[in-house]
Amino acid sequence: MCWELARPEAVAAPVKSMILLTAVVLGLLAGIIRARVGGRRLAPPELSLTWLALVAFIPQFLAFYLPATQELADDYLVAVGLVGSQVGLLVFAWFNRRQAGVWLLGLGLVLNLLVITFNGGLMPISPEMVEKLNPNYELFVSWGVGDRVGATKNIMLPPAETRLAFLSDRFFLPLPKWWMFHPVAYSLGDVFIAVGAFWLLWAMGGAKPQTSPSSRSSQLLKQC
Amino acid sequence: MKHNIHHLKVTLGRLDQRHVRLGLAVLSLVLFVLGAGAPGSGGGPS
Repeated sequence: MCWELARPEAVAAPVKSMILLTAVVLGLLAGIIRARVGGRRLAPPELSLTWLALVAFIPQFLAFYLPATQELADDYLVAVGLVGSQVGLLVFAWFNRRQAGVWLLGLGLVLNLLVITFNGGLMPISPEMVEKLNPNYELFVSWGVGDRVGATKNIMLPPAETRLAFLSDRFFLPLPKWWMFHPVAYSLGDVFIAVGAFWLLWAMGGAKPQTSPSSRSSQLLKQC
Repeated sequence: MKHNIHHLKVTLGRLDQRHVRLGLAVLSLVLFVLGAGAPGSGGGPS
C-alpha cells in the first residue's frame, strides 16, 4: 500500500530531537546537583577532538536543520551525508571511549548506524508508525515504500522489508504536542544515546577533588 | 546600564578553564546526540 501525507512540511529538527536533548539537560542538572550535594566542584570531562563533533555534524545540519539547504539535497546525497556524518561521530566517540558514558553513546550510535546503513542510508520507520505520529493528516495514495519521510532522517519501510527491524524507530513515545515536544518514534540506539549522555554529565558531579601539585609537595615536606 | 556592564565584566572575569571545558563538553555532546540519534516524528507539521 502507498501512503502520502498532505503536503508534509518539515518539523523543525530540534523539535524531533527534544527527547534526546532532554536527556542532556537532565544529565547536566543531575551532575550539578550531585556536585552541590556532595560538596564537590563540577569536573567537566576532558573530551578529545571536540572539533570533530562539529565538523561531523555539518552535513546533518545542512540536510535536516537549515531550511535553505533542506530542499536542495536529494535523498541519495542526504543518505551519504548522514552515514558519513555518523562515521565521523563514531571516530569522536572512539577517541573519548574512556570517559564515563561515552562507550554507551558509541554503542547507541553503532546500533543506529547499522540499521541506517542496511536500509539505504536512512532510519526505517513503518507506515503504521508514521500514521501514529500524524493521526490528523489525510492519507492518500502517492508515496511508495522506500520514500523518505518529509525532511527527516527516516525512510518509510514496512517491517517485513526492513533489515535489522528491531533496531529501527519502532518504539513510540506519546508526548503531548506542547511547546517543543511532539510525539516521537525512537530506536534502541536512541535509548543508549540518551542514557550515555545522562551518564556522562552525571559523572561530572562525582569526581574526587584533585590535589594541586603545590599542596602535594607541601604535604611531602611536612612528612620529612 | 553601567551596573549591567560591570556585572558582565565581573561574571566574565570569573570564567576559567573549567567553565570553558564544560561549555565545550556540553556543545560536543549536544552535537553528538543530535547527529547520532534518529528519532522520528512523522515529517509533518505539528
